[in-house]
Amino acid sequence: MKGILHLWRRYRRNRGAVLGLVVLAAIVLAALFGPMIYTVDPFDMIGRPAQAPSARFPLGTDVTGRDMLAGLLHGARVSLLIGVAASVCATVIGVAVGAAAGYWGKTVDAVLMRLTDFFLTIPSFVLAVVIIAIFRPSLVSVMSAIAIVSWPPVARLARAEFMAHRDREYVQACRAMGMSDWRIAVRQILPNALPPVIVVSSLLVATAILTESGLSFLGLADPNVVSWGYMIGVGRTLLRTAWWMSAIPGIAILVTVLCINLVGEGLSDALNPKLQER
Amino acid sequence: MSIGYVAVRLLQVIPSVLGIAVLNFALLHLAPGDAAEIIAAQSGGASKEFVEELRRSFGIDLPIYQQFFVYLGKLVSFDLGISNVQQRPVLELISERMPATLLLMLTSIGIAIVVGVLCGVVAAMRHRKWVDTCVSVLALLCYATPQFWLGLMLIVLFSVTLGVLPSGGMMTIGAQMGPFERALDIGRHLVLPALTLGLFYAAVYARLMRASMLEVYSSDFITTARAKGVSEGRISMKHAARNALLPVVTLGGVQIGHMLGGSILVETVFGWPGLGRLLFDGLLQRDLNLLLGILFISSILVVVCNLLVDLVYSLLDPRILAR
Amino acid sequence: MRMKLPAVLAAVPFALALSGASALAQSCPKTGGTLTYVYSLEPTSLSTIATSAVPVALISTKMYESLLNYEGPGLAPKPGLAESWTISDDRKTYTFKLRPGVTWHDGKPFTAEDVKFSVESIIRPYHSRGKTYFGDVAAVETPDPLTVVFRLKAPVPFFMNVFQAGEAPMMPKHGFDGIDVSTVAAVRAAPIMQNPVGTGPFRFKEWRKGSHITLERNPTYWRKGFPCLDQIVQRMMPDGASRAIALETGEVDLAPMSSLPEAEAQRLENMPSLEASQAGAEALGPNMWLEVNMRDKPLADLKVRQALSLALDRERIVDVIWYGQGKPARGPVVSGNAAFNKALKPYEYNPRKANQLLDEAGYPRGANGVRFKITQNFLPYGENWQRLAEYVRQELGKVGISVETQSADLGGWLKAVYTDWSFNLTSTFSHNYSDPSIGVERTFHSDFIRKGATFTNSMGYKNARVDELFRLAAREIDPVARQKQFDELQQILHDEMPVIFLMEMSYTHIWNRKVKGLITNGISMYSPWDAVSKD
Repeated sequence: MKGILHLWRRYRRNRGAVLGLVVLAAIVLAALFGPMIYTVDPFDMIGRPAQAPSARFPLGTDVTGRDMLAGLLHGARVSLLIGVAASVCATVIGVAVGAAAGYWGKTVDAVLMRLTDFFLTIPSFVLAVVIIAIFRPSLVSVMSAIAIVSWPPVARLARAEFMAHRDREYVQACRAMGMSDWRIAVRQILPNALPPVIVVSSLLVATAILTESGLSFLGLADPNVVSWGYMIGVGRTLLRTAWWMSAIPGIAILVTVLCINLVGEGLSDALNPKLQER
Repeated sequence: MSIGYVAVRLLQVIPSVLGIAVLNFALLHLAPGDAAEIIAAQSGGASKEFVEELRRSFGIDLPIYQQFFVYLGKLVSFDLGISNVQQRPVLELISERMPATLLLMLTSIGIAIVVGVLCGVVAAMRHRKWVDTCVSVLALLCYATPQFWLGLMLIVLFSVTLGVLPSGGMMTIGAQMGPFERALDIGRHLVLPALTLGLFYAAVYARLMRASMLEVYSSDFITTARAKGVSEGRISMKHAARNALLPVVTLGGVQIGHMLGGSILVETVFGWPGLGRLLFDGLLQRDLNLLLGILFISSILVVVCNLLVDLVYSLLDPRILAR
Repeated sequence: MRMKLPAVLAAVPFALALSGASALAQSCPKTGGTLTYVYSLEPTSLSTIATSAVPVALISTKMYESLLNYEGPGLAPKPGLAESWTISDDRKTYTFKLRPGVTWHDGKPFTAEDVKFSVESIIRPYHSRGKTYFGDVAAVETPDPLTVVFRLKAPVPFFMNVFQAGEAPMMPKHGFDGIDVSTVAAVRAAPIMQNPVGTGPFRFKEWRKGSHITLERNPTYWRKGFPCLDQIVQRMMPDGASRAIALETGEVDLAPMSSLPEAEAQRLENMPSLEASQAGAEALGPNMWLEVNMRDKPLADLKVRQALSLALDRERIVDVIWYGQGKPARGPVVSGNAAFNKALKPYEYNPRKANQLLDEAGYPRGANGVRFKITQNFLPYGENWQRLAEYVRQELGKVGISVETQSADLGGWLKAVYTDWSFNLTSTFSHNYSDPSIGVERTFHSDFIRKGATFTNSMGYKNARVDELFRLAAREIDPVARQKQFDELQQILHDEMPVIFLMEMSYTHIWNRKVKGLITNGISMYSPWDAVSKD
C-alpha cells in the first residue's frame, strides 16, 4: 500500500499522465455504464441515415440510420476489451519467453528465439488476417489473433533487457549470495527490465485497438458487436458527405490511445528509479 | 565480427524457414473453402463435376501430406507454383508487384527513420522542454491515428479539397512521358501513401528513440562521461545516441513484417499496385498458391532483415561477441 | 425518409437513352479519345471462358464478339459476326450466314470453322453456362466457310439470346494450336487467355497488374468507320471512396455495374458533369434473397418462413441499405424480365402477424423473449451485405428469433452454404439472365440439390410440380403456353418461399456526360462499345 502511494506520488508529477489517467478512467466508466444509461440499441435503424448531430441523436446517425452515440458507447466496450485483453496476453507471453531466453541463454535461448522468429518472420497483420479467416471473425478470434501476433516484439525486448542485465555486477552478486535463478529473474532483473516493457506494452494496447480497426476495415470483425474500428469502416463510405461518422470513432480511438500512452509513460517515469534521481 | 558467428547465424535461418513453411501450409489448409469453389462462384455457379475437375487440375484433391511434400520439393527450387486463380506463375506475380511495394516501403522507412530518429534525439536532448512536448504530442497523434483513416483524410485534404496530389494509383495512365517526367509523376503519386505508411513508424521510432536515449542518459557511463567533463553535445551524439540506437535497430528489423501488413491497408486505400494488394486479393479469392508464395517470400524478406539486424546489433554492442 | 433516386433517373425512357447512340448509328459523332472506366477487382483472365466475373466480362466483351448484336432491354437480335440467319419451323435448325471479310486481330480470316470450334470445344465444355446454352446442340455443321448450321436435339426457346459477346465469345481456332483442349487446366493456361485475339472493335495493348488494362482501336474492324474511341482503359481501384473521387475529378469517365458504393453514387449522380442510369442491365436481372436451409426445423415450417418474410421491411432494405437502388422483390423472376408474373402480390411487412404466425407454429417466446436461435451467414460481397445481415438480425430479434451472424470470406461462405449445407439462413443473389430457364432453374429445381455446386438449390427444396414446370418451359416453343408455365412456377415459389425474396437489385452506371452512346441494350456494359464516343 505504501509502495503504491509512493508510486502515485511520483506518477502525479507528470501532469500529462494524470490527465491521461483521468480521461481514460472516464472512457472506461462510459464503456461500463454508458450502455446502461443510454439504452438505445446500436444496431437499430431508428432514424434517417447520415444525420448530423442533433438533440435527438447527440452524435448523429450512421449510414443506415443507427444512433452513433449508442454505437460509440457499445463500441468502447469492445475496442477496450480487445485492446487490453490482447495486450495483456501478448505481454505475459512475451515477457515469459523473452525472460527465459535472455536469462538462461544457450539452448533455451536458441529454441525460444527460433519460436519467436517463426512469429516474427510471418508478417503480423497477414497472420492475424489468416487466423481470423480460419476461425471465423469473433471477439475471441480477433483478440487471440492480435495477441498471437503481438508478443514477439515484447519477447525480443525482454530478452535484450535480460541479456544486458544478467551479467551486471548486482546480478553476479545475487548469484554469489546463492539466490535461485527464478528469484533473480523475477525479483532482481524483472523490475529493472520492466520500464521499457511497460512502455511497449502500453503501446501494444494502442496497436491492438488500431489493428482491430484495420481488420474491421478489411471486413474481419465480429459481426454481432459494434467496435470503433467497425464504425470507421461503416462511416468511410460517406467520408466526405458525412465526415463526422468516421471522425467521431476515429477521435475516440485517438483519445483513448493517447491516454493509454500518457499513462504508460507516466508509469514508466514513476517506475524508473534512475530517472527519478535526476 | 567473426566469420563463425555469421555462419552459425546463417545456419539458424534454415529451421526458421522450414518452420515458416510448415506453419504457412498448415494455416492455409485449415481454412475452409478452396480456389476451385471461388472460381466456380465467380462464374455465376458451376456444376460439381467442373469444380472437381478444377480441383484435380490444381492438385488440391491430393491427400494433405502429399500436397505438403510437393510444396516443399518445389520450394527448394524456388518454384512457388501457379496461381490457381490468375493462372500464372506465383513468382512472376510477386516479382511484378515487388518493386512497387519496395518503393513504397523504402520511402516510408526513410521517412520514418529520418523523421523519427531526429525527433527522438531532439526530444531527448530537450527533455521536458517545449520541443520535447511538441514531438511527444505529434508522435502520439500520429501513432494514435488509424492508418487507413489517415490515408483517407489525406486524400480528402490534398486530392479533393486542394487538388494538388493524385488520389490513387502509381502513375498517370495513358500519358506519354520522358523518364524524368515519369519519375516525377511516380513521386507525386508516392507522396500520400508513403506519408500515410511512414508517419506511423516515425512516431514509433521517435518514441522509442526518445525513451531509449533517456534510459542511456541515466546510465552510469554517461554520468561518468559527464563527470569527466565531456561536452553535452558529444555525450548525446557519440555515447547516448549510439547506445540508444540498439532498441531502434532491434525494432527496425521486426517492423518490416509489420509494415507489410500496414501496406495492405495503405495500398488498398490508394490503389497502389504492390504486394499488399496482391495479398489482399489473394485472401479474398482464397488463392492458396499465391498466398503461400507471398507469405513465404515476405517471411524470407523478414528473415534476411533480422539476420542483418543481428549482425548490426553485434557491431553496435561488442559485449554480445565477448561472451 | 425516402432515399430513392430521382424519379427521372429510375424511369429513363429507353428510347431516350438510346438516342444518338449505338447499333443504329451510321457514323461516329466524334472519333478518337480514351474512355477510362474503373472497377474494384482485377480481372483474373481476359476471357469469359475462364470466368464470367464482372471485371472479366467488362473488358473481354470489347475484344471478343459473338455471332449477334442485341438491341433494347429485351435483347432483339441484330446482325453481328453473322449477317443473317434462318430458323427452321420446328426450331431445331439454326443457319447463320457469316459476314465476309472479317479478320482476327492477328490478321487471319474468321471462318465457320472458328465458330464450330468455339462452340464445341471451348464454350460448351468450359463456359460456366455453356452446357445450358449448347447442351442440346447435336451438331454444328460448316457447309462452307461462311455458313454455320446448328442442329438441336430439341428446341431451345432462348437460343437466339445466347450469342452474346460474354456468353458465347468466338475464339480463333488457331489460337489453341498445340493445346490439349480436353482439359480445363490447359485451356485456362492457354496464352490466349492472357493475350486475347478476337474480332472485336478493340484489341489488347497492355495489362499492368494491379493498375490497369489498355485496349486500342482495331484498325481492321469489320464495321467501317468504327470504333469511335482510340482506346479503352480499365482501371482497378479496390477502395470505393477512391473510385468515387477518380470519377469526380475526371480521372475516370465511367463507373459501370454499381462499382461505386451506393452512398457515393447517390452523391455523385447529382453532379452536373455526371450522368447516372439504372437502365442497361435488364438482361442480367439480379435478384436478392435470404436462402433458407429447409432441412432443419424450425425453418422447414412454412409458417416460420412466412413470419421471417413478414418481419422484414423490404422498402427499408431498398431505401436505407441499398440507397434506393432496387425495388422490393415479388418472386424469383425480376419485374423487368419479360417472363415476370404481374399477378404476384407484393410481400407484406407486418411484425405483429409474424409474431402471431410464430405462436401458431408452436414457438412461444421463452423467459428471455426468445423463441428459438438460428445462425445467419451473409454473402461476403461488401458492406451492404453486412448491413443487411445486421438489419435481419435486429428485426428477427424483435419477433423473438435470436440470430447469430457468422462472417466468412468467400471461400468459407461457399463451403458452408453450397458444400456443407451447414447454415440456417444466408443472403445471396442470383442473375435471372435473359430467360428464367437460364438463371432461375438452378436455384429451385430439385436436380440442383448438389453438394459442391455453387449458387444452386442449397435449400434442399423439392417440389415435383416446380421441377415439371421447369422441364416443360425449357422445351416449350409456344410463347403463350410458356408464359403460363412461368406464371404458375412463380406463383408456387412466391407462396412456398423456399427463399425469402427480398429485393430486385439494379446495376447503376455513372459516367461523365462527355461519354455518349453507352446504354444500348439489356447488356450494355457487356457490349462491344464500337459506337461509344467521347467529346
